[in-house]
Amino acid sequence: MSLGGPTEGGPTGARVLRNTIGGQRRRLAGASLLGMAHQACEALVPVVIGLIIDRAVTTGDASSLLSWLLVLAGLFLVLSTSYRTAALITDGAGEHAAHRLRIAIGARVLDPRGGADAGRLPGALTAIATGDATRVGAVAAAVPYAVSALTGLTVSAVMLLRVSVPLGLLVLLGVPPLLWLGHRISQPLEQRSEIEQERAAHASGVAADLVAGLRVLKGIGAETAAHSRYRRTSQDSLTAALRAARSRAWHDGAILALTGVFIAVIGLVGAHLAMSGAISVGELVAAVGLAQYLLGPFQLLTYVNGEFALGRASADRIADVLSSPPAVPTGEAVPTSPTAGRVRLRGLGHGALHNVDLDIAPGSTVGVVAKDPAAAHDLLLCLGRELDPDEGTVELDGVRLTELDPVSVRRAILVAHHDADLFEASLLDNVRAGTDADEADLAPALSAAAADDVARALPEGAATVLTERGRSLSGGQRQRVALARAIAADPPVLVVHDPTVAVDTVTESRIASRLRAVRDGRTTILVTSSPTLLAETDRVVMLDGGIVAAEGHHGELVAGCEAYRSAVLG
Amino acid sequence: MSGPAAGRTSERDTSRELLPTATGAQTLAALGAPLRRHRLLAALAIGVLVTGTGIGLLTAPLLGRLVDLVVAQRGTSALTVPMVLLVAVAVARGVAAGIGRSLVARLGEIVLADLRERFVGRALRLPLDRVERAGSGDLTSRVTGDVMMITKAVRVALPEFAAALLTIVLTLAGLAVLDWRFLVAVLLAVPVHILTVRWYIPRAASVYARHRVAGGALQHQLLDSIGGVRTVRAFRLTGAHAQSLERRSREAVDLALRGIRLVAGFFSRLNAGEFVGLAAVLVTGFLLVDAGSVSIGTATAAALYFHGLFNPINAALFLIDDVQSAGASLARIVGVSNLPAEPGSTSGSGPAPADSSVKISALRHAYVDGHPVLSDVDLEVRSGERVALVGASGAGKTTLAKLLAGIHEPAGGSIVIGGIDTRDLGPTGVRRAVTLVSQEVHVFAGPLAEDLRLARPQATDEELRAALTRVDALDWVEALPEGLATVVGEGGHRLTVTQAQHLALARLVLADPTIAILDEATADAGSAGARVLESAAVRALEGRTGLIVAHRLPQAATADRVVVLDSGRVVETGTHDELVAADGRYAALWAAWSDSRRDQPLPTQREAAD
Repeated sequence: MSLGGPTEGGPTGARVLRNTIGGQRRRLAGASLLGMAHQACEALVPVVIGLIIDRAVTTGDASSLLSWLLVLAGLFLVLSTSYRTAALITDGAGEHAAHRLRIAIGARVLDPRGGADAGRLPGALTAIATGDATRVGAVAAAVPYAVSALTGLTVSAVMLLRVSVPLGLLVLLGVPPLLWLGHRISQPLEQRSEIEQERAAHASGVAADLVAGLRVLKGIGAETAAHSRYRRTSQDSLTAALRAARSRAWHDGAILALTGVFIAVIGLVGAHLAMSGAISVGELVAAVGLAQYLLGPFQLLTYVNGEFALGRASADRIADVLSSPPAVPTGEAVPTSPTAGRVRLRGLGHGALHNVDLDIAPGSTVGVVAKDPAAAHDLLLCLGRELDPDEGTVELDGVRLTELDPVSVRRAILVAHHDADLFEASLLDNVRAGTDADEADLAPALSAAAADDVARALPEGAATVLTERGRSLSGGQRQRVALARAIAADPPVLVVHDPTVAVDTVTESRIASRLRAVRDGRTTILVTSSPTLLAETDRVVMLDGGIVAAEGHHGELVAGCEAYRSAVLG
Repeated sequence: MSGPAAGRTSERDTSRELLPTATGAQTLAALGAPLRRHRLLAALAIGVLVTGTGIGLLTAPLLGRLVDLVVAQRGTSALTVPMVLLVAVAVARGVAAGIGRSLVARLGEIVLADLRERFVGRALRLPLDRVERAGSGDLTSRVTGDVMMITKAVRVALPEFAAALLTIVLTLAGLAVLDWRFLVAVLLAVPVHILTVRWYIPRAASVYARHRVAGGALQHQLLDSIGGVRTVRAFRLTGAHAQSLERRSREAVDLALRGIRLVAGFFSRLNAGEFVGLAAVLVTGFLLVDAGSVSIGTATAAALYFHGLFNPINAALFLIDDVQSAGASLARIVGVSNLPAEPGSTSGSGPAPADSSVKISALRHAYVDGHPVLSDVDLEVRSGERVALVGASGAGKTTLAKLLAGIHEPAGGSIVIGGIDTRDLGPTGVRRAVTLVSQEVHVFAGPLAEDLRLARPQATDEELRAALTRVDALDWVEALPEGLATVVGEGGHRLTVTQAQHLALARLVLADPTIAILDEATADAGSAGARVLESAAVRALEGRTGLIVAHRLPQAATADRVVVLDSGRVVETGTHDELVAADGRYAALWAAWSDSRRDQPLPTQREAAD
């Protein structure tokens, strides 16, 4: 648990930022040193210009000109080298930091205990793992920039103090109020920029959404309606952009005016001092040059400030994901090995389930018919230990699932949802996902799920790469591949939900008979209302109103139970 | 079959036919049109910016004047005028910059909005098979990535680039005014700039392009893994997916690091240019002062001018790359905007079908030459008739549905709707008459009512409710947190597949076509949901000619007529009873299906199955 942290168990946004910067501290320290050298050199350039005016141009001394030009050349060499190295290290640190965050977010979301994906859409999580991680990485990279900018300010202040104490003090005392003013001016701008970005992202999202639904739009001939919807969001985005642009323009203008006045004041004070002989003409030139140079570090500090503001919001979002509580806690126990596959539900209550008692003998094939789709869904979540039930227990071989490690539960009980996702890999690799088996050993699973036919219809057979979560296949083909994957994993307990709803009748009956053969001796639970599949089970249980309402052979139930007949035969 | 082809999988994408990219001239022409429409604004913006930058350039000579006054020991009172001028210049410059940049941003944003709206409008009206041949990712990446890239350029790169360029040009002019020899001296640095840019641009273009690809792959991997997280957990694939993620991210980071190396090399090369120019100006100043041609103040002003150019030169040269990539994105957008829309999209009024009958004759289609999907299909559907299409996966049911809906153009044969050939109706005319509810379930992001209004934009809430009632969906819609106003789809309230299909049927009711095609519309909903949807579909079809791609045989049994497709041909047609009696293919399907529902003891059945 974090010490004194406002939330338990997970990092806060501030902590994410601190850890990110801390994780790159060596790189950042090195880059800061080099950046300091770079800025110091930049600050010295106007000083050397002043010296050349003073010692060479004013006096007409050619050898002095030559030697000072050599100094200038040396200065540029150091400046260039230190800049280059610092930039490499700094921006590299930002990339490395973003990479680490991305990996951490990925690991948290994919964690077997779940929880991070609840209530968040894949697109939103992806945006956090890419955009937000990059932004927090940029904060780490901004640290050396801040250090070097401050160094530049310090060096020029020292130079100015050496030229003249009043001039140096003027800069030192003038800069803070100038920074403060700049900050005050940029506050409303940040707000408007945020709205601008939000609207732009919204318009972009609407466009992507409409294009994603293009087939649907074409189907109902809604192109014009869709276009005018996009135009509305685009105009909204335009309005926000114009507001933001106006304040950005005035912000830039105000900063320009402020710094111009500042330089004028320094020039005037310097000129007075030069007139009275307190400083030389060259020192006046140096002072003015330094005042001009100061704009650079100012802008750098403004940039760093902006990065921090953006980075904080991003860090908060990342922290939210990283600290999301797991959906199920880890258990210590491991299921008995080998797993017999006895599943027992006692007083199970969760969501649409109220009080379900159920005993499933090892090796049997049991059908579950749920009149309420929500009940089927909740049952699947409880069986796969994607969540722990509010009431009652689920036991595997006499051990409660809540006492088991979620990973080992899923090794023993595999829940295959009817809308299971395929991944961007070859059909064969998709089927091989849950097993180490060789290609040859997959043949029974492919055949049982009639996925061998799917492979045959593809241009490169089972080696064909499926695109975008299997969207290149039809619904029925996708289901068959997903079912083959579940069968190939060969778990002691297999729970399949509606594996054939998108499959044609002939193929369905083939799958039904083969499924039974391939699962021989291992527990199989079919959550479905397909009579073809149910006919192949040893026993069927019907859930109605959240409890077991009927139980028996499919044939018996069809003959003797009106509710069952209406649920299954429709 | 998988044998010889295995291992070539990675090269498949080459067969894709990407959407076109505009040429430079076309891109400029596309920019020119909206700019001409706003030429007053453009002229005003440029005028104010030039004035502002010009005023700003007075700073250096004024400071030079201060130096001269000091050298001449003219007394402190002489400083008042340049001092007041300096402050005035600073304020005027700020004001001009504020106005100028607002105007430029306004112009840029208006042109941008115009471009993106035209582009999306055209993208939505492209023929679907054109989009599909390019892969859905092509259009999506243009709609999001390229538009965003241009937006960023318009908001950040363009104003900065313009300001820097302006500063450079006017500063060079200022140097020439001081003494033309200063300008010549400064130009000595130009070869360094040219060499640097020529070194940088080709390398950067390649690295950035590869970085974008790697970034896309990373994004894709994230969506793949996170979108399928339930499956990842069920199959204990966390490790494998975390590894792919790590690899993708590492690839993107490596390319980003290469890009950083390039940028660092770019700026450190430009440092050499800074030194060459500065040294040249100082030496020139030295010689000119020595020769008595210019004052020390002028030499100072020249040096300060050039020192002040360091940042604008760096910015302008660096932004060349951004401007170039924005140009590339723009070309990709204009390429789509310039594509012809679907024929008939604009013409609107043509001959209208007399009724809702359909006559299909000798229809042929193939997606790949030599692999016919449909061959010689003849089919007549009377007005108001409900016909079920039955057949195994791959029999050509969906293709027939798509051809009829005008989504693809048939390779041969004809489709006549209400007495008019679809080629004369045009895709838009066809879609006015025919609505297709496809396998695809997509819920449009935004309020649920807005989703429905895509089908009928002027529909009142009452009409929406009536449509929902008709498909039996009003109950669950009203039970949503904010009823019809509930935000659904990506980023909103998540609907179940059944609910999404309900919406699709409600859209059909609102679109109110005379001919409706339902393609496996109930397939993904799960068996319990399927039955709910079947009855909703029947109600949605009332009063229309209906073509149902039937998956579940009961759908076929209740239709007026059943058409059995096999390998792209019509093999049987007739009423359910006729076909069952005929003892052909349909009868076999029906037997297989009803077998499983017969209330017989199980053992005999299982024996029979093997």
